[in-house]
Amino acid sequence: MEDKKGKGVSRRDFLKGLGGGAVGTAVISSGLLNGDPARAYVPEASGAAPAKSIINLKVNRKNYRVEVEHRSTLAEVLRDELGLTGTKIGCDRGECGACTVIINGRNIYSCSQLAVWMDGKEIVTIEGLAQGDKLDPVQEAFIEHDGPQCGFCTSGQIMSGKALLLKNSKPTEAQARRALSGNLCRCGNYNREVAAVLAAATKVG
Amino acid sequence: MAQAPKEFSIVGKSTPRIDAYERVTGQAQYTGDIQVAGMLYARVLRSTVPHAKIISIDTSKAEKLPGVKAVIHQGNTQIPWSSGGHTHKRFIFNNPVRYVGDPVAAVAATNRHIAEEALGLIEVKYEKIPYVLDPNEALKPDAPKIGPNGNLSVGTGAFSAPIEESWGDLEKGFGEADRVFEDTYISKHVNNAQIERRVSLAKWDNGKLTVFASTQGVSNARTDIAKDFGLPLSKVRIVCKYMGGGFGNKNQAQDYDYMAAALAKVAGQPVKLEFTREDDYIGMHGRWSSEQRYKIGVKKDGTITAVSLDAVTNMGAYRKQSGNLSGTDFYQIPNFKKVIKPVHTNTVVAANYRAPAYPQSVFGFASFLDQIAFEMGINPLDMFMRNRIRMSKSKIPFSSNYLEQCIIEGSKRIGWSEKWHKPGAMSGPQKHGIGMAIAGYPFRPGLGAATIRVNPDGTAHVLVGVTDIGTGAKSTMAIIASEALGIPLNQIQLTNGDTDATPYSIGESGSRTTAFTGPAVVAAAEDVRKQIFALAARELKVKAEELDMRDGQVFVKVNPAQKIPLEQAVRNAGELIGRATTNPNFPKEMDGKSFVAHFAEVEVDTWTGHVRITRYVAAHDCGTILNRLTAESQVKGGVMQGIGMALTEELLIDKVTAIPINPNYRDAKVPTHLEAPEVEVIFIENYDPYGVFGGKVVGEPPITAAVATVANAIFNATGKRFKVLPITPDKIVQAVRV
Repeated sequence: MEDKKGKGVSRRDFLKGLGGGAVGTAVISSGLLNGDPARAYVPEASGAAPAKSIINLKVNRKNYRVEVEHRSTLAEVLRDELGLTGTKIGCDRGECGACTVIINGRNIYSCSQLAVWMDGKEIVTIEGLAQGDKLDPVQEAFIEHDGPQCGFCTSGQIMSGKALLLKNSKPTEAQARRALSGNLCRCGNYNREVAAVLAAATKVG
Repeated sequence: MAQAPKEFSIVGKSTPRIDAYERVTGQAQYTGDIQVAGMLYARVLRSTVPHAKIISIDTSKAEKLPGVKAVIHQGNTQIPWSSGGHTHKRFIFNNPVRYVGDPVAAVAATNRHIAEEALGLIEVKYEKIPYVLDPNEALKPDAPKIGPNGNLSVGTGAFSAPIEESWGDLEKGFGEADRVFEDTYISKHVNNAQIERRVSLAKWDNGKLTVFASTQGVSNARTDIAKDFGLPLSKVRIVCKYMGGGFGNKNQAQDYDYMAAALAKVAGQPVKLEFTREDDYIGMHGRWSSEQRYKIGVKKDGTITAVSLDAVTNMGAYRKQSGNLSGTDFYQIPNFKKVIKPVHTNTVVAANYRAPAYPQSVFGFASFLDQIAFEMGINPLDMFMRNRIRMSKSKIPFSSNYLEQCIIEGSKRIGWSEKWHKPGAMSGPQKHGIGMAIAGYPFRPGLGAATIRVNPDGTAHVLVGVTDIGTGAKSTMAIIASEALGIPLNQIQLTNGDTDATPYSIGESGSRTTAFTGPAVVAAAEDVRKQIFALAARELKVKAEELDMRDGQVFVKVNPAQKIPLEQAVRNAGELIGRATTNPNFPKEMDGKSFVAHFAEVEVDTWTGHVRITRYVAAHDCGTILNRLTAESQVKGGVMQGIGMALTEELLIDKVTAIPINPNYRDAKVPTHLEAPEVEVIFIENYDPYGVFGGKVVGEPPITAAVATVANAIFNATGKRFKVLPITPDKIVQAVRV
């Protein structure tokens, strides 16, 4: 790989630092910073089959044995392989929390966990909260308090709320806000989501 | 205050969404959740340069990558995207490219990682063209030309330029003023940033194209795609059942829908095209930034005599929407002139974001009015009350207008008279401030359609073309149907968002769903009620006109005890179908608006520049509230978006490379739970004679006043006027130090 060093920081690192993200590859390939787009860096196609492993997962009280690509995230495997599409991907870079699931009792961004790291882990997704027809109190409260507007962040908000109540059955409003602060809601329904979690706490307690 | 002609059964109550269960259990299937057999994944390659001619695209290495099934680009795929640009013809891939982010190619492969890898194998040779990022620079004669006619974005009709509007006599108005003030206010480009990334799933079956889209409007998405692909409407089906937010940037059909369809055609397989979050920030659009130069004349008592507004709005490389600034529409201005110049630059496209022409514009005008009040020693509450709009454009009456009550009730709730103090009067580093602004959003009725099928067991099935982008539109339509039919809500099934199954809808934009499709639901209900009453009349041995229905019981109006259940009337009817296409309108010389008055209290830490909003009151005149629960959520949410725009959000573009440097949530600083104040919502309930059940518009008004309200509260706290958004801590610290 061509790695044009300049002033102690590689171009790739610099652009990563700027948050170039998806345009990153293309930005580098065009050599923008040296002003010569014609001198593009193009990597050779590897063509090699991507590395895969078999892992064991317990998701929503069910055991799965699944072959995953090493580059696949837990969020991708849940959605694409297990069909559990209630877990959403909003940013795929650990910022928005739409992909939040509960792993061994903690709320975690599933977009930021490689699936291969999850071997032997116990995972709960939004689909696993209800016990049969009986919704979890957090889900019930989200219905009553209009927690979802567009609903795309809702699974994540509920999972973070649930994870909080597992640790702290009587949270204060400040604690609830803090616990949900990793879950963005662009519809801006923050008042409702916090109210729902607090209402669920009174039901649980 | 106008009252409803009769008492409602369900309208006005707090009703949980009809699809809330699906939304809290993960069962709601959004576009990205849909999988079809043989589906490929697609990714988009974007321009890395702001302005360049593409000399060549070499896709050979990408095509050789195992798993890659289709690569499209300007050299092999030239599909126009009519709604993507209204001044120069825009294709899904353009040459020259006109901004960093302009699509260059798209790849479909057997999985998304392969598609992503393939993008890196595409070799693009650019020949650079000079570029311009600043709209004022772009208007200079020697600036690089982005459109064929230069950089003033001149289209036709709604896309003409400059946008000009005037009434009264400006010179006379300024002559009558005791004082004339001039100043400039600046707003920045902010992204809609809805949590659902753009995604489209397209498949072809025997020449028929089906697109599972993430769109705010299935009907207009179908019209767009049919037109640009040269297909009859019958050969295009658009489906969108659940939609993860858009706030204006998923209107109609977008280029990614086209790319998915084109890739699916080439590959001969269904294609799901997914945007990354960065794609979403730079590849679609955000709110147009603006530079607003005002001249305002006022009398000694604060009464406005004349306003002139000269502005430029930065539309980026293509003109998708108007670029107008309409914040002055909520103020009584006897003599007025505005000249708005929508300008092309080599930057990310700007178009619709919730109340497109309002919050940035209200920020400028209401901040300036607040400043003028300060300079003239007038309490802002009196200033806004005195200059609130009574007659549209100084002479046209409104269908209803309770802005005065919004101001009165909102100011009472926040405790304005006790809490307001002179700006910057607090000593110490922690400063309390209180501020307000007034605004709103246009309301008018329009074209809609609906079908209601009544089953032999007395349940009903409502079919509407609306999408539900989070507003609760599905629930609102079901509530309207329940009220109009006289059938309980739980007896109503609703199908939405499928052009093969549901009738026309305007699309969920411009706060028009309820105002346009609502009347059609009412009319369809009336249509099917007539059929029900004709059948029931035989059983009850009365005339059909003598019957009414409520709670699923058909009864004789003069003797309600004489009744039969609906299912008894229709049990042998097979199925009754009510349908309507309606197009109500205002009489000539009438305007409609929802109005808002917003109030905020802030604590400003002048050492750190941190602003904490401690209290927020939003008083709204939206006519009748159809569903209090979802309407309040709309207001709370719109205010939050306004707070982000006021305090933190801005898409930054590097001046040297023209690369957007913060196209993600963390760096573009979208508000989180921690920044959210409790938003107290007041509805000034009334009955607008032209709204369905008296309702006006709810979705867009909440954001319109929020930015100015926060800015004015910060002024009251610090005594410093911030004329450039967003009002970030560094600006506050710097201003207070001076």
